[in-house]
Amino acid sequence: MVGLTVNGRSFNVDVDASTPLIYVLRNDLALNGPKLGCGTGACGACTVHVDGRAVRSCQTPLSTLRPDARIVTLEGLGTPEKPHPVQAAFVAEQALQCGYCTNGMIMEAAALLAAQPNPTEGQIRQHLNGNLCRCGCQQRVVRAVQKAARGGV
Amino acid sequence: MTIRTEVDLGRRAFAIGAASAVAGLTIGFRWALAQAPQSGPPVPPMIRSNPRLDAWVRIAPDGGITVMTGRVEIGQGMLTVMRQVAADELDVAPERLTLISGDTAQTPNEGVTAGSLAVKLGSTALGLACADARATLIGVAAKAWSVEPGAVKVEDGQMLGPAGQRMSYGEAAGRISLARPVDVAAKRKSPAEQRIIGTSYPRVDIPAKVFGQPVFIHDLRPAGMLFGAIARPPAYAARLVSADLDAIRSRPGVVEVVRDGSFLGVVARREEQAQAAAHALAKAARWDAGAPLFGGQDVFDYLLTAPSETAVVHTAKAEAPPAATTHKAEYRRHFQAHASIGASCALAQWQDGRLTVWSHTQGPFPLRGDLAKGLRVSPEAVRIIHAQGAGCYGHNGADDVALDAALLARAVPGRPVRVHWAHEEEMAWEPWGSAMVTRLAGGISADGTLAHWTHDVWSFPHSTRPGSDAGCNLRSAWYLADPVLPGKAADIPLPTGGAARNAVPIYAAANQTITSHFLSAMPIRTSALRTLGGYFNAVSAEMFIDELAALSGRDPVAFRLANIRDARLGAVLRKAVELAGWVPGVVGKRALAPEMIGTGVGLSRYKNSDAYVAVVAEVSVSTKSGLVTPLRLWSATDTGRAVNPDGVLNQIDGGMVQAASWTLQEAGRWNSGIMTTVDYGSYPIQDFLTTPLMHSVVIDRPEQPSLGAGEGSQAPAGAAIANAVFAATGRRVAEIPLTPDRVLAALKA
Repeated sequence: MVGLTVNGRSFNVDVDASTPLIYVLRNDLALNGPKLGCGTGACGACTVHVDGRAVRSCQTPLSTLRPDARIVTLEGLGTPEKPHPVQAAFVAEQALQCGYCTNGMIMEAAALLAAQPNPTEGQIRQHLNGNLCRCGCQQRVVRAVQKAARGGV
Repeated sequence: MTIRTEVDLGRRAFAIGAASAVAGLTIGFRWALAQAPQSGPPVPPMIRSNPRLDAWVRIAPDGGITVMTGRVEIGQGMLTVMRQVAADELDVAPERLTLISGDTAQTPNEGVTAGSLAVKLGSTALGLACADARATLIGVAAKAWSVEPGAVKVEDGQMLGPAGQRMSYGEAAGRISLARPVDVAAKRKSPAEQRIIGTSYPRVDIPAKVFGQPVFIHDLRPAGMLFGAIARPPAYAARLVSADLDAIRSRPGVVEVVRDGSFLGVVARREEQAQAAAHALAKAARWDAGAPLFGGQDVFDYLLTAPSETAVVHTAKAEAPPAATTHKAEYRRHFQAHASIGASCALAQWQDGRLTVWSHTQGPFPLRGDLAKGLRVSPEAVRIIHAQGAGCYGHNGADDVALDAALLARAVPGRPVRVHWAHEEEMAWEPWGSAMVTRLAGGISADGTLAHWTHDVWSFPHSTRPGSDAGCNLRSAWYLADPVLPGKAADIPLPTGGAARNAVPIYAAANQTITSHFLSAMPIRTSALRTLGGYFNAVSAEMFIDELAALSGRDPVAFRLANIRDARLGAVLRKAVELAGWVPGVVGKRALAPEMIGTGVGLSRYKNSDAYVAVVAEVSVSTKSGLVTPLRLWSATDTGRAVNPDGVLNQIDGGMVQAASWTLQEAGRWNSGIMTTVDYGSYPIQDFLTTPLMHSVVIDRPEQPSLGAGEGSQAPAGAAIANAVFAATGRRVAEIPLTPDRVLAALKA
C-alpha cells in the first residue's frame, strides 16, 4: 500500500512503489485531468502540481514522492463554479482544439503565474516550451496566460 | 463565475443491450434510396445516403430534441458547429439540443469525417433536415389554428399563433411522424434570418476539457476493465518465429497472452503491467526480419524508378504567345507523421458474440466494416461508438488500435479491454504521410502571362483508410495466422484528388498538363495526412511560380495577380499582403549576411474547390547555422459563409503552425525495416519558441455556400515560409523540410 494526498484527499493504493504517478491518478483514482502523452516527459500532457511545483507525472514514480507531498491535478486547481484564472482564461480565449495537451498547458501556466505573476510574452513562451500542442494553439495559449495574469477574465 | 460544462461521455456508454437491438434498423430503409427524386431540388449527398428525417432529428413528447450527425469531433469544433446549425434552423437554444455523433447504432452513416467536408456536407444535410422538421411542426400548428404557416412564430421550441395560441414542438411532433424521407425542397434560413450560424458561438466541449471532466476515450472506465498492449515486430515485414508465452503469463498482473500468427499481445489488470509485459514479450520473441525497405534504395530514387501507374489527369489547351522565359524544377518532400500528442486508443468488449468498440476513429461505419472483415464476423455484430481522442490530423492509428483491442478482448469475453498505444508505437506503426517528388515546367510569354505549365507528381497512396471495397485496412489483420490483407490501394481521382490534389494550378496557364505517377505498393505504409497530396503539390506550385516571377524580373504578388482569373483568390491575396505591408520587389541572389530576413507569399484554394487562403510569411535565416526561424505570418481566408468565424480562425492558425513544423523540421527516417524517428527527440514538432506570431482574418461571404476550411492554410503557409527563405537568400531550398543542413547546402551552391 502506498499513501498519497491528491486534491486535499488521502488515498491508499495497492501498487508497486515504482509505478509512475500518472497511472495511479488516472486508473486508480479515476482522475481525468492529467493525460498520458509520450510517457517520457517530453510533451507535458501529464503535468500535475506536487507541493506547488509543476512535475511530469509520467516521470514520477510513487517512491520518489514524500509521504506528505501535496498533489494537485487539474480537477483540484479549479472547478466550473470556482475556476482558476488560467482555466477561465482558456475558456475565454478558446485556447485549444482537441484539448489533449490542455491539462499540461494550464498546470504549467498556473505554476508560472504563482511564481511570477506578471511574465512577459517571451517568458511565457520560454516557460511553456516543454509543453507540446500538435493542433497549433500556441498563440491562443499565450494569450490566455497573459489574460489570466492581467486578471482580465 | 460559474462556467457551464457539458459532458457527453458516458451517456451512451455501456448501453450495450439496447444498442444491438437498434443496430439493424438502418438496413430496413434502403427503399428510400430507390425513391430518391429524379428531378427537383438537388439532393445533398449525405441526405441521399441517409434519406430519413428521423435519422437526423427526433422530437420527444416532452419537447426534448435530439439531433444526430455521423460527423465526429476531432478537435475541430464539429460538435459546436452542428449544434449551431441545428439550433438555428429549429429556432431553439443550442444548449437545449441533445447531439449524438458517430454511433453506428444511432447516427446517419456519413462515412469519414475528413477532407474539410464536415461543414460543407455534414452541416448542409443536418441543416436541411432541421429546416424540414421546423416547417413540418409549424404546419401542424398552422393547421390546428387554421392560420397560414407564415403567421406562426417560434421561440425556443414554442410555437406562437397570431391570437396568442401556443403549441410546443413536443405536442406537435406527437401528431405527425418524422419517419419519412427528408423533404429536400425544405427552405433553409437565409443568412439574414440566421441568428447563431455565422457567430463565434463558444465551443461546447472546451469547458469540460479545461476542468478535467470525462471527455476522452481514455476517461472511460467501465467496471472490470482490463488493459491490453501489443508486442510489436521489430520490422514491418517481420514475422514471428517463436515466443515464450508461458514466461509472460507468469508476470504480475497478466491475465491473458494472445498469439495469432505474428500478432502478439497481452491483457493485464493494470496498464503499466500490460505495457511492460508486451515489451518483454516482443523483446524475447524470435522474429524473421523480412526484406529491407525500398530494397535499400533512397526513397526519392525509389519513387522515381519503381513501377508506377502513370496517367495524365488534367490538360488544358489554348492559343498563347510563345514563351519568352522557360523554367523547370524538381521538389521533394519527406515522409511526415500525424504525431498526435495522445497516441491511439480503443476500448472493446465482446458479449455473446457481439462486439462493441469505443473509438476515436474518423469513420465509425467504415471502421465497423473493416473490423468485421478482420475479425470474420458480420458487420451487424459490431457497434462502433465514437469517443474523442487527441487530434489526429488524418488517418493515424485510431482505426488500427480498435482491431488490436477487439483481438485482445476476444480472449476475455465480457471484459472491456482498453488498448492505448505508446507514442513510439504510434510513430512506428501509424500510416505516414507520403514522401513525394514533383517536377514542374513552365513558360512565360513576354507580356508576363503563363504560356504553359506542366506538373508531374510521384507519390505513394494518400488514402488507405478502412472502408474500401477490397480487403481490410486494419494493420494487425495482416499479421494473423490467417491474414486478412488489404486490397490494392487506389488513388482518389480529381477533381478532389489524392496524390494529385491541388496539382492543377490556380493560375491561368494557357496550356496545362498534369501527370500523376502513383505507386500503389507501400514499403512504408502511407495514408491520409491532413491535405493528402494537397500541401506538397500546392507548395511545389507556389515555389515554382515564385521562381518564374524571379526569372522574369517580376514581383511575386504582382505576377500572381496577373495570372489568376478567380476574383476570390485575388481578394485573399490582396488582403494578406495588405495586412503584412508587402513591399514589392524582385527576388534575386544577395550577398550573404549572418542573419537574413525575407518575406514570401503563398496562395491556394484547397482541393481547387474549398477555402481560399493567402499567407505572407516573414522568416529569418541564419547563414551560419542554416536555421530558419519563422517570425510572423499574416493570412486571409475566404471560406464562403463561415458558420463559426472563431472556429475558422482557430483552424487556420493551427494549420499554419503545423505547416511551419512540416516545412521546417519534420522528416521520417528508417532503418532496414521500420521507422526510427519515433520520439520527440528524433521527430521534433512545433513548440512555443518556433511558433511565429500570427495575424489572420476571415473574409466572410454570408451569401456564399460554406467551404471546407480545416485544411485550407497548410499549403499556403508552407509555401509562404519556403518562399520567404527564397526571398531572404535568393537561393531555393527544394527539399522539405528545410532543415539547417539543406539550407546550408543551398547557400553554398
